[in-house]
Amino acid sequence: MKKPLSLLITLFVIGSFAMAQEPTLDEILAKHYKAAGYDKLLKTKSIIMSGTMIQQDAMPVKIIRMRPDLYYMEFDVQDITAYQGYDGQTAWMTAPWTGNPKPQAMPEDRAKDMRTKADFDGLLYQWKEKGHLVELAGRDTVGTTLAYKLKITKKDGGTEYLFIDPSRFIILKRLYFRNIRGKDVPVENYFHDYKAVNGIPFAFTQDTYFGGQPYNSLQIENIELDQPIDSKIFSMPVK
Amino acid sequence: MRKTLQLSLLYFLMSSLSGFGQEVLQWRGPSRTGVYDETNLLKEWPETGPALLWEYDNLGNGYGSPVITKQNIFINGEFDTVNYLLALDLQGKLLWKSKVGKEWIQNYPGARSTPTVMGDLIYVTTGLGQLACLETKSGKERWSVNMMSDFHGQPPRFGFSESVLVDGDRVYCSPGSRDTNIVALDRFTGKIIWISKGEGEITSYTAPTIIRLPQRNILVTFSKTALLGIDMKDGSLLWSYKQDGEGIDCQCNTPLYENSFLYCVNGNGNGAIKFQLSDDGAKITELWKDNKCDGLFGGFIKVNDQIISGGYEKRQYYVVETNKGNVVDSIKFDRGSVIEADGMLYLYNEKGQMGLFKPGKSCPELVSSFKVTRGTKAHFSHPVICNGVLYIRHGKSLLAYKVAK
Repeated sequence: MKKPLSLLITLFVIGSFAMAQEPTLDEILAKHYKAAGYDKLLKTKSIIMSGTMIQQDAMPVKIIRMRPDLYYMEFDVQDITAYQGYDGQTAWMTAPWTGNPKPQAMPEDRAKDMRTKADFDGLLYQWKEKGHLVELAGRDTVGTTLAYKLKITKKDGGTEYLFIDPSRFIILKRLYFRNIRGKDVPVENYFHDYKAVNGIPFAFTQDTYFGGQPYNSLQIENIELDQPIDSKIFSMPVK
Repeated sequence: MRKTLQLSLLYFLMSSLSGFGQEVLQWRGPSRTGVYDETNLLKEWPETGPALLWEYDNLGNGYGSPVITKQNIFINGEFDTVNYLLALDLQGKLLWKSKVGKEWIQNYPGARSTPTVMGDLIYVTTGLGQLACLETKSGKERWSVNMMSDFHGQPPRFGFSESVLVDGDRVYCSPGSRDTNIVALDRFTGKIIWISKGEGEITSYTAPTIIRLPQRNILVTFSKTALLGIDMKDGSLLWSYKQDGEGIDCQCNTPLYENSFLYCVNGNGNGAIKFQLSDDGAKITELWKDNKCDGLFGGFIKVNDQIISGGYEKRQYYVVETNKGNVVDSIKFDRGSVIEADGMLYLYNEKGQMGLFKPGKSCPELVSSFKVTRGTKAHFSHPVICNGVLYIRHGKSLLAYKVAK
């Protein structure tokens, strides 16, 4: 009887100690900013990423991001180049495989996601100033890692989750939702193959699952920082 | 006189050694098998790949491979919805460009076929079914037909893509209409010699091959679902073999005939298949099939007792043992096309990596590789090797690499 009691006490102490060691949201974010190279990222003006998007085919893709919160992507579907962009006000796209090659404004649910992607410093940085709410929602597994789960209630009302590695403090997974015919379908981005470019770690592979099914894999081959960029590319073309 | 003779002998010797004087006049080499009769090629490459001799970067959009004569390179490309045949010299300089017809732009826009050269004439097709015969010297058109307007064909899902077969005084094409399924034309005039009904299906994407037997020559190709064996004398259908399953419409790889056996790889169908052909060619018997090997359009190579083919669903290559017909290994090199030359395999994958592999008793081993960084769009074209030069078409660019020792 004495032995089980001391075991229980030991477990309680270890458990309490572990609970006490669980960092706060601010501590997690502080470590994340450091691990994600924010000291350098905040001085970076533009990022050009090029690589391959593997969906059914392996097709070239190029993503250009520039301060303040400008985003441009060109990618090929059935070997026809399509474009998406955000100039700080309008999120736009082309979808030539539908038979309409003209640029058009994005539907609102996709525009919301575009605005999130265009946030140069990411959702977590200065979240209060941006009008979002970030909460620590415990832990959840990402692969074999018990990651910190952060719930973000965005200014636009949308909810998403970011999962942060507890040892490296980089983002392992993003979970958000797309409304498809009245239903919220989960979209999961898994980030792998982090490599540093000018001291900033970037995920060179991003695997996406849509509704739980494998959707595509973005494989980045080259990243250039602070290259001169014509800001006109971010605006919806007139024609 | 003696000096001239010595010089001639020296030149002859050097030419023989370097393989100079080879020609690639049609799709996937002399026998349409993807095997190039080259010698003295590098058995490994420098880390950055073999030396790039030149690049010609204004081919127009397309996926078709080049053909190479002793003086010229011919290749077609799409410029603003129109297919042009381009003639380059062997240093990659444009000699002429000749309009062929409207090209397919609905999906994967660009020229799809590889031209076929016979003597001083060249035969080209477009994705919208134009088949034209042009003079190799000037690009001047001798005759043309359209597989839709002249033969009531309809384009398959990704456009007409056949690299036409030319043999003797005939050119063979596949309009794929119910009654006018396969057609033999006089290659000098474009006049119809015979029409085969085949199985009455729309055409597929296959470049046909020939089985030559004492009794008859057989044209082997695919329509939408069916492997067809057609007597080349009169167009009669000797045999056919339909793929199992629903939604089958994408047969692309050229079948391979060897020692009374016929091999096919149909990713959109029954996978790898081996048939026994009867002595007179009038009958085929299925020996095995393995649908794990699901290569779609990268071609395949038979080396020793193995078939090497790109996969589709799983992005890898497969190794199929040809006696029993089972997949024995896989090569983790994404998926794509495969050719062979001088005892080595060349795998060009859809991520733009070109790999040099050494075949063996088990799985081929990667020796060297490099990434094709020039050019545009998808890496779908099949590479070509001729006279020690590896030609890779990547969209608008034709790249020539020195792979001779």
